[in-house]
Amino acid sequence: MSNLKVNIAGVELKNPVITASGTFGFGKEYGEFYPISALGGICTKGLTLRKRDGNPPPRVAETYGGMLNSVGLQNPGIDHYLAEDDKRLAKEDVVVIANIAGSTLDDYVAMGERINESNAAMVELNISCPNVKQGGMAFGVLPKNVEEVTRAVKNVCKKPVITKLSPNVSCISDNARAAEAGGADAVSLINTLSGMAVNYRTRRPILANNNGGLSGPCVKPVALKMVWECYNAVKIPIIGLGGITTYTDVLEFMICGARAVQVGTANFTDPTAAYDIVRDLEAYVKENDIDINDLVGTLILN
Amino acid sequence: MKDRIATVIKNARVADGVWYMTLAFDDFEEVKGAQFLDVKLPDRSKVLRRPFCICDFDAEKKTADVCYAVVGGGTQALTEVKAGEKLNVLLPLGNGYVPAGKKIMLIGGGMGSAVLPAVVTANPDKAFFVYLGFANAGKVVLEKELRAKGADVTVATDDGSYGKKGFVTTYAREAFDEVKPDEIFVCGPEVMYKAVRKCFDGIKVPLYVSLEQRMGCGIGACLVCNCKVKRADGEGYVRVCKDGPVFLLDEVVL
Repeated sequence: MSNLKVNIAGVELKNPVITASGTFGFGKEYGEFYPISALGGICTKGLTLRKRDGNPPPRVAETYGGMLNSVGLQNPGIDHYLAEDDKRLAKEDVVVIANIAGSTLDDYVAMGERINESNAAMVELNISCPNVKQGGMAFGVLPKNVEEVTRAVKNVCKKPVITKLSPNVSCISDNARAAEAGGADAVSLINTLSGMAVNYRTRRPILANNNGGLSGPCVKPVALKMVWECYNAVKIPIIGLGGITTYTDVLEFMICGARAVQVGTANFTDPTAAYDIVRDLEAYVKENDIDINDLVGTLILN
Repeated sequence: MKDRIATVIKNARVADGVWYMTLAFDDFEEVKGAQFLDVKLPDRSKVLRRPFCICDFDAEKKTADVCYAVVGGGTQALTEVKAGEKLNVLLPLGNGYVPAGKKIMLIGGGMGSAVLPAVVTANPDKAFFVYLGFANAGKVVLEKELRAKGADVTVATDDGSYGKKGFVTTYAREAFDEVKPDEIFVCGPEVMYKAVRKCFDGIKVPLYVSLEQRMGCGIGACLVCNCKVKRADGEGYVRVCKDGPVFLLDEVVL
């Protein structure tokens, strides 16, 4: 019998399609285009203890088959989120994954505690944002730090914890193992690849922040390989992301070992992208009479 | 706000490096002046839509026009779209400009002039005094269209090759005391806003500007197009696409 439901750390998702953090706000704007309850889940914009203004503009540069961003975690802060967006989202029939970030280990612990007050079903640890000068990157690079920050949050957080992994590391599967050792209930990968876009006339980078995070279809091959590597390294579920634009991209990620996926940049190209992917997946499993879970990790190597 | 399939009616070069495109829609929402639309490019290597101000519109014919300068690969690709082809377009976006007064001064700098015809079309009961500035005669656009709508139009070019010579802001400031507009709306490059701030310093009427920024989603979710404003609660970033693109010049941090 055909099935699209998936289960991540005990949380049931209607389908494997989650919208990626930072591309979907808190669901309000896209809710004007389609019912967000149709999605498997939504990941919130990265939240921090205090309001963050983010980086100066320009914060985006298009590149071939992708884009760079350097938003710098602009967000209204956890208090504002709990008072407003969390309450609004609680009324929607959708799994909410709260993406939390910090500059220090204490920040992460404090966020891990505060998020217990929310209605979010799960927490995604943003330890790999390339656009934040302190913290962010540092926690996501070395396996021992990945393990430490995951464990610290797990000790205080009552919700399942997903550690989001950076691809800007020497061996991502070591970091997946480190997250698992730290008690992560799942890992999500890949965050954006560090990159730069340059204007030859002005001899300056296009982004005011100089560097940014690369996303979009151009990163998909990198992401697929990393998902496969991590699938072979850990037992916890993997949420795959990186350039997913169509339902066939989702199938490829699941075959490489992802139990669910996230859609990011495609939301910008088409505001209904994630919704369209869900509907296409529904048609696919029905037509082929399959349980989507049966695809996970079925890659046949040559 | 909705994504719609538009049929390209016309797409032709109208000035040096400037093109004019008319898009027809099956259904049409009310458009305010200074709102924008977001075009999905036919080239799939380009993942971001291209935002353009709605240059003009016709609610009865269900058309919206875009007047655009060719500045990069995206706009270059757009020039290759032929009449009869379809484009996916999101509109109308942004807060727009709805004048409260009766007598309005509009100032356009270069491609910023492209936003002005729609402001006039959307407000048929107001009197418009329009000042357009361009680099040279080859860049002049929309003068005829604005006159046809009954606006009082003055054109200046930096090199004097067409109309008055020099910066249009100077002529607008000279006319200000005589025209006595209830408000001013300016659209142009940032350097123009700095000049306007200086030469209109101390005037008692509201002065609005429309900002431009590289955009991601175009609908307020991604926060990449933010600009800095100064408000009662301090300085902070707001979204050009959703909170703008029109702001009071006084609150914009340039």
